[in-house]
Amino acid sequence: MTFKELLKNKFVYLDGAMGTMLQRAGLKTGDIPELLNLTSPEVVFDIHKQYINAGSNIIYANTFGANGYKLKSCGHSVAEVIGAGIQNAKKACAGTDTLVALDIGPIGQLLEPTGSLTFEAAYDIFKEQIEAGKAADLIVFETMTDLYEVKAAVLAAKENCDLPIIVTMTFEENHRTFTGCSVSAMALTLQGLGVDAIGINCSLGPKELLPVVEELHKWCKIPMAVKPNAGLPDPATGAYNITKDQFADYVAQMANFGLKIVGGCCGTDPDYIRATIARLENTVATAPQKLLPTALCSYSNTVLVDRPRIIGERINPTGKKLLKEALKNNDINYILNLAISQAQAGADLLDVNVGLPGIDEKEMMKRAVKAVQSVTDLPLQIDSTIPEVLEAGLRVYNGKPLVNSVNGEEESLNKILPIVKKYGAAVLGLALDEGGIPPKAEQRFEIAKKIMERALAIGIPKEDIYIDCLCLTASAQQEAVMETLKAIKMVKDELGLKTVLGVSNISFGLPQRGLVNSTFLTMAMSYGLDLGIINPNIKEMTGAVRAFRLLKGYDKNSVDFIEAYSEVEDAPKPAAASTDMTLDYAIHKGLKEDARRITEKLLETQDSMEVVNGIIVPALDSIGALFEKGKIFLPQLILSAGVAQEAFEVIKKKMIEANNAPVSKGKVILATVKGDIHDIGKNIVKVLLENYGYTVVDLGKDVPYEAVVEAVIEHDAKLVGLSALMTTTLVSMAETIELIRQNQLDCEVVVGGAVLTPDYAKEIGADYYAKDAKETVDIAKKVLG
Amino acid sequence: MIKIDKINTAEALRYMCAADAADPILIQKVEATAAELLKIIKPVYTYKIFPIEFSESGILLSGTSLVLTGKSAREHFSGCHSVIAMAATLSGFADRFIQTAEISDMAKALIADSLCTAAIEQVCDIAESEIMSALPKENYYTWRFSAGYGDLPLDIQPLILRVLNAEKVIGLTINDSLIMLPRKSVTAFIGISDRPIEKKRKGCALCSMCKSCQYRQKGTHC
Repeated sequence: MTFKELLKNKFVYLDGAMGTMLQRAGLKTGDIPELLNLTSPEVVFDIHKQYINAGSNIIYANTFGANGYKLKSCGHSVAEVIGAGIQNAKKACAGTDTLVALDIGPIGQLLEPTGSLTFEAAYDIFKEQIEAGKAADLIVFETMTDLYEVKAAVLAAKENCDLPIIVTMTFEENHRTFTGCSVSAMALTLQGLGVDAIGINCSLGPKELLPVVEELHKWCKIPMAVKPNAGLPDPATGAYNITKDQFADYVAQMANFGLKIVGGCCGTDPDYIRATIARLENTVATAPQKLLPTALCSYSNTVLVDRPRIIGERINPTGKKLLKEALKNNDINYILNLAISQAQAGADLLDVNVGLPGIDEKEMMKRAVKAVQSVTDLPLQIDSTIPEVLEAGLRVYNGKPLVNSVNGEEESLNKILPIVKKYGAAVLGLALDEGGIPPKAEQRFEIAKKIMERALAIGIPKEDIYIDCLCLTASAQQEAVMETLKAIKMVKDELGLKTVLGVSNISFGLPQRGLVNSTFLTMAMSYGLDLGIINPNIKEMTGAVRAFRLLKGYDKNSVDFIEAYSEVEDAPKPAAASTDMTLDYAIHKGLKEDARRITEKLLETQDSMEVVNGIIVPALDSIGALFEKGKIFLPQLILSAGVAQEAFEVIKKKMIEANNAPVSKGKVILATVKGDIHDIGKNIVKVLLENYGYTVVDLGKDVPYEAVVEAVIEHDAKLVGLSALMTTTLVSMAETIELIRQNQLDCEVVVGGAVLTPDYAKEIGADYYAKDAKETVDIAKKVLG
Repeated sequence: MIKIDKINTAEALRYMCAADAADPILIQKVEATAAELLKIIKPVYTYKIFPIEFSESGILLSGTSLVLTGKSAREHFSGCHSVIAMAATLSGFADRFIQTAEISDMAKALIADSLCTAAIEQVCDIAESEIMSALPKENYYTWRFSAGYGDLPLDIQPLILRVLNAEKVIGLTINDSLIMLPRKSVTAFIGISDRPIEKKRKGCALCSMCKSCQYRQKGTHC
């Protein structure tokens, strides 16, 4: 019997709880259950046997938590524990058709960006388990709450074995997992990755899970698996609240919503499985969906492409000096601010393109995708012409992205489409080929058709194929404008595909570009454009999309439109009228917008350095003095520092545009030490140091000792700032300093953090102790001038 | 999941060492950030009740391997027959919110961080009263006592989370440096007794910040 053959049955039956049964057999709460595979195999064998006798077609080996992290200090290896687990299960199945699943639960560590475990490290942990459990008939990833962790797990399985994969995740009553993963995001992402069945287990009983199952059914083309708890537990006694017959009745209702594979989780036992099998005998099963809605998603946000939407175009260095500069300097924060501001302006998706000669584009794409998805939940469009760069981005993306792009050239089709398929992305096809962009709509349509056929042939479903009919500049080829629009209509009507268009090119070489762009965008939408690649920070462009959605009736009762344009409640107005406000005042009062405006105005008549040295630095000094005297407090100090930063951004932009790099007062290396992830204090110090003109090399948090030493050498830095917040991580601070001293580096070390004292700082060999961010600046002045 | 109606902004201002600040721009920013946070945090908690056994090595939670060692716990739970072990978290959404603010608006990040610290205490208060309302009225309780208080070591945290099955039930994990993730999380024990409990003062000597605390340096306490 194979899993595929089993799926021919009306229903497939799994087993019930393992943990509940082990506790009944005397396992202590909090102990590691998988060790029983070695210490009491007969107990585990007996439980398996009971489920097989009850009628389970698949039993889960007792391997749920047997990963490198959880078994770290138990004295047994993953291979031993999993090997014994699979063997016990196989032994119990001997002489039956029952299959054995390698059961894998969450690692037990939170992944980046919230946690400190990297995606790559998670992959390695799963890989070890998968290699240890290859003798199983299939793999089950269950009780998962983080879609990113699941993606690492599925990739590890797909790349290291050929076993079928079932994934079930754990949802709460709000239809979300603890990390915010939605039902649709799970379904879109995992079906894209090519797993064999998806579903839901644990957390709730079958009654509470019924609406979650109903929702999943809408998004599911493949068999659905459900393993509910035996109701809800009583916290005082741990007892679950529904009987086996109630359980079976609720499960039977799930059959109306695509249920195919069923078992029980916490609180269930062989009787629950028996009752379920008996109850489902006369129940009719429903088929999964044939076609899914066209949608893209992050882990938590599913964007349906059912109306015109905005792809924010700004994370693309073409023609953008500041972004190029940021990419060269590895300044990821600049990219993140572009992401945040586009999201706030109303973008539905974000394009991410980091193509710049001379940088490691692959590495930068990986970093950029990881970082951008940590600050926004908008789905991404991963944009590159280089297959390896696309793959680097797709691999670490948490959700279902759009790939920009493939085109009609053979080489492009052959290289890009397999990557799109492997990572389960959607793909954007450009209507051009070896011959360039054809002039006529019919010719572009033919290329679009070819791209579609090739994508379908490789197994990319139709709803995941998008076409860009390409826009040329109206000033050079006026007659081509209508050809583009005509092609959009043909692709929509005749191929039934969604369309995308980069709009801004249309106005190249013309005055009043905004006017031309927004008019063309509106025309394109009326011809059927679904996704416009635009700058959402230009009000007229975003406004055109919002107004179109309203007028076309997508925005029911104008709810979104009104919400976007209703007046936001004003912040308390400062005393000074905004026309005669000074920059000094704006900095003191924390008024960012005003500071930006005033600085821009000042730069029309004054030299950049005059503004810095004559206004900003004195303002910061005076705020620093107020802070030291206790007249103002930390949040106000930081607020003012943020305003000064805004003013500096304006100045920096002007200087870079004039090809004048700003002058640095010296480099400071900052790091939150190994093991510690509380970095807010370090980040506050960074803002303040930058305010005073120092270049900060920010190594981030949880920084290995060696990385600090390497950075000091690489940047020839004379000052290193280390922070730690936990008593448990102070020792890492001492180790880092020790390593700096051993390498005889010519630099001084300043330390800070809530649990530090001046005495302890001295004891671990730091040169300075800073009680707050302001004092760090004073120390930097002393050391670096 | 439980609901907080309003985050205690006064308490948050105190964490920012800005309790005396009357700056309207700051207050407005704190209120606005609190409103945003309330929309995104998903506070959850879990608890279990264990009979306890006093032994030479410490206080054993029955049916588990968890022992609360040290003098402080022994004093705190003296006269108790059981403890409530609880864990609560604001969820990773709070962490993400703070991380995002650190990129675009550092002052907002600082404010959000303090607001979340205030909020998790509120969550614990609400959890505590919900738990107690489900228990016999005749019970007497100690105040919440956590690992790291006095000489109760922090390194029992991983076992506390395992005993509560906290990863599965509320999505709470702990890393090798004993930092709980999501960050804005708390574990605590509350003693249950049949007899009135002498209210021990939550004195500074118990606190791990005792030597470096800013309040004590100013001659006050928190």
